[in-house]
This record gives sequence, C-alpha cells and structure tokens, in this order.
Amino acid sequence: MGHRQKGFGVRQRDRSAAVWQARLIMLVMINIAQLWILAATVDAALSHHYSVLVPLVVASGICFLITLSIIRWWRPTSNQRTSTGYVRSAKER
Amino acid sequence: MSKDSIHDENDVRSATASYQSEFPYEQGEEAQVTRREFCNFLGLTSAGFFLGSAGFAAKAALDRGKTTSLAAARIEGAASLGLNSALNFNYPTEKDSAILIRTDSGEFHAYGQKCTHLACPVYYERQHKRLECPCHEGAFDAATGNVLYGPPPRPLDVIEIEMRDGEVWATGRKALG
Repeated sequence: MGHRQKGFGVRQRDRSAAVWQARLIMLVMINIAQLWILAATVDAALSHHYSVLVPLVVASGICFLITLSIIRWWRPTSNQRTSTGYVRSAKER
Repeated sequence: MSKDSIHDENDVRSATASYQSEFPYEQGEEAQVTRREFCNFLGLTSAGFFLGSAGFAAKAALDRGKTTSLAAARIEGAASLGLNSALNFNYPTEKDSAILIRTDSGEFHAYGQKCTHLACPVYYERQHKRLECPCHEGAFDAATGNVLYGPPPRPLDVIEIEMRDGEVWATGRKALG
C-alpha cells in the first residue's frame, strides 16, 4: 500500500512540475511578445504613427492581464480523483 | 504521503535537511531562484513592458497635442548658400534641427532633419541629390521629402519657407503622410 502511495505521489509531482513548466514557458513567451510590442510602440512614437499606438498599448495590456491570470489563478490542481472522476482540490479534502 | 506530495517551490526555502535547523542560512541556496520567484519576476517584467508601452504612447500623444502656431524665423546664411548645397539650422526651437537645401535650379527646400524611421539625422547627399539616413539606409527626395527607399514609413517633415527681402524665412512646419 505504501509503495502504491509513493508511486502516486511521484506521478502527482511530475504532473505538477509539468504544469509549472508550462506556466513558465507561457510567461516567457508573453514577455517576448511584450518586448516586441514595446519596440513597435517606440518605433511608432518616434515616427509619429499615432494610429497604431492605441492598439499596441491595448495588446500589451492584454498580455499583462494574461500574465496576471497565469500567475494568480493557473495553478496546478491537487491532488486526488474522487469516485466520480472529478479532481478534488486540497482545500476540499 | 505528505512528504511525497511536496511539489511546490515554496518548500525549497523551508527545506527539511537536519543541518538546516542548526545552520538555516546557506549561501549557495540563497543564490538560487525558485520557479515561483521566477514567475513573479516575469510578472513584474510584463508590468514594466506594459507601462513602458503606455508611457511612450502617452508621451507621443502629448507631443502631438502641443503643436501650436509657429513664429517665422530668418535662416542665417541661406542667401549665400551655393547651388546643390545644404545648410543646417534649427526650427521652430533650438532643439529641432532642420536642413535647408538649394537645388541646382536655385530653389530652396527645407525639412526637419529627423528621419521618420527612428529619428536619426539625415544629411544631403550631393552626388545623388537626395537626403540620406545613415542609420538604416533610408533616403528621401530632396525636392519633395518623399521616401525613395528604405525603412522610413512617411516623408520628412516639411519646413515652409518664404523669401522676404532676399532672405529665406522659415514660417511653419508640417508633417506629411
């Protein structure tokens, strides 16, 4: 039984690590996109292309909101399946 | 079960090795960054990029709104400018560099000297009779200020000029495109 529990824990840890890894990758990609948007904003501001400034800032804001949502809410769920197949969080147990 | 379910980097700081209760500070681990800390750092970076974009856009919008009627100013030395030559001057303020060109036919044309790509100063290239930007190899027509080639997205700002008693005066500035 103890052996089974340990195996379950390892799988669970692997899944959790995968979620963390996915979060990190998404955050890095969003940061890269935002860096590009910042460069485009500077370019547009210096060249007096005012019409594209607002869309660029809005896009950067959306990226920031996605980043916030990833940091605040997209966490690995834990840990245990119930008899109905739903994943039950640690708080519920 | 509880030890097996450790899955979060929160636990890195509260590591459970026995020696850590006696020597809780370990320099090597202090240098490490957990995934959670790195995520938070990326969040801050994201906020910084957003604020930077918003700041640049706000400043550009403010600068745009500042445009007012400009006072006429005499361009010193313009009358003695030779054919197919250029002269630098400042208009409308001392900070705004501009370039006056006298063509082979004796006509005067004046433009803001900032390239419309990334604001590098353009210079008059006599041989090809065009204004060139050395930074990213853009070029503008000396007679109209229009883009000939390269990355600039719009023509140079045109300085309006008038001849008054044999002197050349700058009377206004307008952005094209």
